[in-house]
Amino acid sequence: MRIKDKIVKWSRIKSPWMLHFNTGACNACDIEIVAALTPRYDMERFGVMLKGTPRHADILLCSGPVTGQIKDRLKRIYDQMPQPKFVIAVGSCACSGGVFNGCYNVESGIDSVIPVSAYIPGCPAAPTAIIDGVVKLLASLEQREE
Amino acid sequence: MFTPFLHILVFPGFLFLVFAGLIAEYIDRKLYARLQNRVGPPFFQPLADFIKLTSKEDIVPEEANPRMFKAMPIFALTATVTAIFYIPLWSPKALYSFNGDLIVVMYLLTIPTLTYFLGGWYSTSLYSKIGAVRSLTQLFAYEVPLLMCILAPALLANTWSLSEMASFYENHSGYWLFNIIGFAVAIVALLGKLEKVPFDIPEAETEIVAGTFTEYSGRLFGIFRLSLDIEAIVGSSLIASVYLPFGFHLKPLAGFLLYMGKVLSIIAIMSLSRSIFARLRIDQMINFCWKYLSPLAFLQILICLIAKWGLYR
Ligand code: SF4
Repeated sequence: MRIKDKIVKWSRIKSPWMLHFNTGACNACDIEIVAALTPRYDMERFGVMLKGTPRHADILLCSGPVTGQIKDRLKRIYDQMPQPKFVIAVGSCACSGGVFNGCYNVESGIDSVIPVSAYIPGCPAAPTAIIDGVVKLLASLEQREE
Repeated sequence: MFTPFLHILVFPGFLFLVFAGLIAEYIDRKLYARLQNRVGPPFFQPLADFIKLTSKEDIVPEEANPRMFKAMPIFALTATVTAIFYIPLWSPKALYSFNGDLIVVMYLLTIPTLTYFLGGWYSTSLYSKIGAVRSLTQLFAYEVPLLMCILAPALLANTWSLSEMASFYENHSGYWLFNIIGFAVAIVALLGKLEKVPFDIPEAETEIVAGTFTEYSGRLFGIFRLSLDIEAIVGSSLIASVYLPFGFHLKPLAGFLLYMGKVLSIIAIMSLSRSIFARLRIDQMINFCWKYLSPLAFLQILICLIAKWGLYR
């Protein structure tokens, strides 16, 4: 039993598939996320693949303070992901609401709607910071449950 | 008593194919990455992906037909694994063979496409329905040239059994050079069969999310991915045994290495095409297959008929 659990955990750490979801960002964070996936930074060396559907994804990369319109959709997409799933908030907006905090039409950050596992600050967060955040999330998974 | 089980489960059956399929996926992805000037995934990546998918939650959509939804991946896997038994790999004799197994192999390799269609259709999501219909439309485009250009070498060898074809070409060395056009056509058609770029129209993730597989998650999706990998191996083995029929008389180990070399070079050609081409539209693909690929396959049949007439006279 122990060995099986270890193998499963190893595979989970080595193969994080991502879904990118714009929850109302100003688009700069999204450009940085896409830049992190280009050959220059090459996330595939950590096993990351960008997936189109929440059914295949393990990690939800959210950018932007959740707008009123997107709140329900964010919840629905989160529910559509199979367990175990993690959420990363990319950019200051996603962490806390950022410059949009207190606006009449936005929530204050992703964690006011769904649970978040890792926060990557920056306006916008640099591709290197995004990769660092993902790797740190994976490292924290390794330490957990041990 | 036990040997058939051994053949089916271990070698050259299920375990060997899983292993080879994962290696092929790794080589495909690594080569693709290197051609794009990046580092690429580590060697255990396909294995890690597969284990992770099997350990994830399986979600069956409420609207979907659960029985069909769950059965389709298994059908796809079984059909592809079964096809390998009739293909001569490194000796001119396949594990099982009878006259006409060529057609059986072609049928078995068509079943996965049908399961993609049915699986996508019964998951009732809009995107998977579009993907399903596209994969069926694509089937009508590549299947005809593929069958025609595989029939041409069979005509020359005057047999419908893959094993007898292999021994015919082994005994008449150099005859396979007649089939060069067919080789090119078959590789292009195989790209369509495996839904690889430029023919990845059914799962075009920039347009229709993930096509047929949109609703599949966890273990079921893992089995589908595995069956695609295995289909790549089986399809390239078929092409290797039909169009590159040499070296069947080598010693087992050398023959095995040569066989792996043939299959992996066909896989390498496919990943090369993945990094060169962009995705076609479905109508462009159908036009291409019927306007250029089918006439080329027809030309191949003519060449074989003329060669046969000239050689047997
Ligand atoms: S953190 Fe800055 S760059 Fe990112 S979405 Fe917010 S305002 Fe735009």
